[in-house]
Amino acid sequence: MTKKAKVADKTQSTTLRTPGSAGDLLRLPAVTLPVAFPVETLVPEVRLQTPAVGQRATRPDGRLHGLGQTRYIDDLAFPGMLHAKIKRAGIAAARIRSIDTREAEAMPGVLAVLTGREIPVNSFGPSLQDQPVLADERVFHAGDGVAAVAALTEQIAAEAIEKIKVEYEPLPAVFDPLEALREDAPRVHAPDSNIYASKVIRKGDVDAAFARADHTFEGQYRTQMVEHVPLEPHAAIAMWDANGRVTIHTTLGRITLGRADVARTLKLPLNRVRLVATIVGGNFGGKNEITQEPVLALLSKKTGRPVKGVFTRGEEFASSTTRHPFIMDYKTGVSKDGRIVARKVRLVLDGGAYCSWSETTLGKACILSAGPYRIDNLHVEAYAVYTNKTMTGAMRGFGAPQVCFAYESQMDEIAAALGMDPLEIRLLNAFEEGSASPTGQALHSVVLKDTLRKAAERFGWKEPRS
Amino acid sequence: MKRRGRGIACMWYPIGFTVSANPSAATVKVNEDGTATLLTGTVETGQGSLTVLGQIAAEELGIATDDVHVVSADTDAMPMDTGAIASRTTYVTGNAVRLAAEKAKWILFEAAATLLGVKPEQLEARDRKIQVKGYPQRSIAISEAAHRAQVVLGQPPIGSASWNPPTVAMDPETGQGKPFSTYVYATQIAEVDVDDETGEVEVLRIAAAHDCGTPINPMLVEGQVEGGISMGIGFALQEQILFDGAGRQINPNLTNYIMPTSLDMPEIEVDIVDSYDPTGPFGAKGVGEPTSVPTAAAILNAIHDAVGVRITSLPATAEKVLAAIKAKQAQGTKGLLRNR
Repeated sequence: MTKKAKVADKTQSTTLRTPGSAGDLLRLPAVTLPVAFPVETLVPEVRLQTPAVGQRATRPDGRLHGLGQTRYIDDLAFPGMLHAKIKRAGIAAARIRSIDTREAEAMPGVLAVLTGREIPVNSFGPSLQDQPVLADERVFHAGDGVAAVAALTEQIAAEAIEKIKVEYEPLPAVFDPLEALREDAPRVHAPDSNIYASKVIRKGDVDAAFARADHTFEGQYRTQMVEHVPLEPHAAIAMWDANGRVTIHTTLGRITLGRADVARTLKLPLNRVRLVATIVGGNFGGKNEITQEPVLALLSKKTGRPVKGVFTRGEEFASSTTRHPFIMDYKTGVSKDGRIVARKVRLVLDGGAYCSWSETTLGKACILSAGPYRIDNLHVEAYAVYTNKTMTGAMRGFGAPQVCFAYESQMDEIAAALGMDPLEIRLLNAFEEGSASPTGQALHSVVLKDTLRKAAERFGWKEPRS
Repeated sequence: MKRRGRGIACMWYPIGFTVSANPSAATVKVNEDGTATLLTGTVETGQGSLTVLGQIAAEELGIATDDVHVVSADTDAMPMDTGAIASRTTYVTGNAVRLAAEKAKWILFEAAATLLGVKPEQLEARDRKIQVKGYPQRSIAISEAAHRAQVVLGQPPIGSASWNPPTVAMDPETGQGKPFSTYVYATQIAEVDVDDETGEVEVLRIAAAHDCGTPINPMLVEGQVEGGISMGIGFALQEQILFDGAGRQINPNLTNYIMPTSLDMPEIEVDIVDSYDPTGPFGAKGVGEPTSVPTAAAILNAIHDAVGVRITSLPATAEKVLAAIKAKQAQGTKGLLRNR
């Protein structure tokens, strides 16, 4: 009997038996079978033409996707690789009294357990380092990780985290950003204030301009929390070599900064950390910072084996960043011919449990909140507030879709009240080449009016309506 | 009964980080046969950025897209990059790539100049050739220049460069400053049907006119617009993470967190308006995030146009729209009663 046939027999007998000990599962072939695909490729003409810029060139990765040859993190396997799972708190605000991992550690197939106290520097974040890799003393939102397990299979790891017993002392929590603003509200990161970032833009004389305005419009607009929902969840594999270097294959979209965060949390020099990204299966801002990478690295260090972690869809929702809910108050002064003469904006951003990219979101939202319009008198103030909810962070648009919903809703309200066409009132107020932005910047290559006219023409805005 | 409405929304959006440095670096290596390899520290996250960066390197070297192989995403081997964020890759990394390719090209020019009997300044790279500006009949193949540079002169044509968008810090009291180097603009117009008996909104058509500077790859720009609109529709009508009273998510799954599928997608008509930004690589700016910025606003304005109710909190679910229609009808009836 050939060696190959023996392996096949083993596989068969293992699948026929009820899932037995972890040892049998380990002997399952971990490497996917090679897939036949044509290596002789026909390069589309458009990729061969010069000049290159302006060509509708096809993507080389498109061919890999089409042939099912793209290797995402979960398609990678290394000999002896373990699987990690993270235990989530499930409670929004609490002090951790104790974590008992003994039962999990004693399970066959469990090779290592990790808690927050074992992480060399247990904090990270792009502007404020307020997020623990694994919660150690306190839980700030229900999706926080409190312990992690590396086991021979994903199933064993999932069972093992159920065996970890965490004793919590519940703390008062706050979920509404307006409540969180109040002095007597529970402080999410006590003793620090719940307002962790604020920004102001002032231009001209708003009060005087409102006094002169023919009409004043006021409104409040709100947006919800949403997820990026990438097809591929957060995934990573960590492994060490004999020189004490750690290599992490990860779904991050920003490996330079990811490496810095990993090195910081593990207390390693940067040149001992290597991050390798594959083609990421969707980012949209959600894969801009580390999540489980240091956990996997430490589990790998403990076991001496590669360790893979793949978020479940539930973790993707509850334990990675989301889009900031906004509460937006707009007051706008308008002349009778439809020119915006003054605008006052107040933004409250529900920042969730950690700062993450809130400062950036706050800044962009503030600057963009007046809309792409020439407004000489402007006052914007914005606050990012902690709540004991899923952290909000970078997401396609950094606050712009939220404020656009507000300023464009109000623009239509103004147009309707003045009996103006929504297109015309926008053209009347729109930025032009050289217009001053809310921050006083002289804008260049401004083609806003061209986009308004082009979209209107394509849509048939001026054609009679049926 | 289904009522039709239309809504318009425009927007502006910056490229790159707010004030803070967000540099990119790149290395371009021209091989002995005139093909090239581009090393970048950014990551392909599905948007086609590596294809665009390859096209930028190719354009500077006067070769075709397929002549450039792009290698990315390994911190051991690639130059630093601030990464796939803030719609910055085409603009910031693109500028670094162009500068790196320019440096490699200069080595090719030096190798070609003596053969062509002119100064390097008099040369240009076009159609896989190094040729004399204004006298293209005098040229050599880029492969010949590359081979000569590396194998004869011992000067491999490799260039590395970095770029960071110039900004001016914002005044903490007034916010005045130049937080971004450049901005893009866009308008989207949505046509919807609103069922006034169920509150259900169907987006029929979106005309999207976007500015991205000069598009490096118009097909990939269109792809971004279509993808951005799908996210915008979810934000406008369906998606919402819900919490119970104890701060735990109650719909963290794709069964109860409703997002648009291909069946919800409207007809999308994309226009890329003529634009050239002198600060971007070959006039390009960016397009990733802005595509999903005006969609929800346009749809909500269309809902108002259709049934006369203004939904001021997203998402405009069927329940919410129906409740607003009913409230409006009740008010209308009251008004009628009063008038009588």
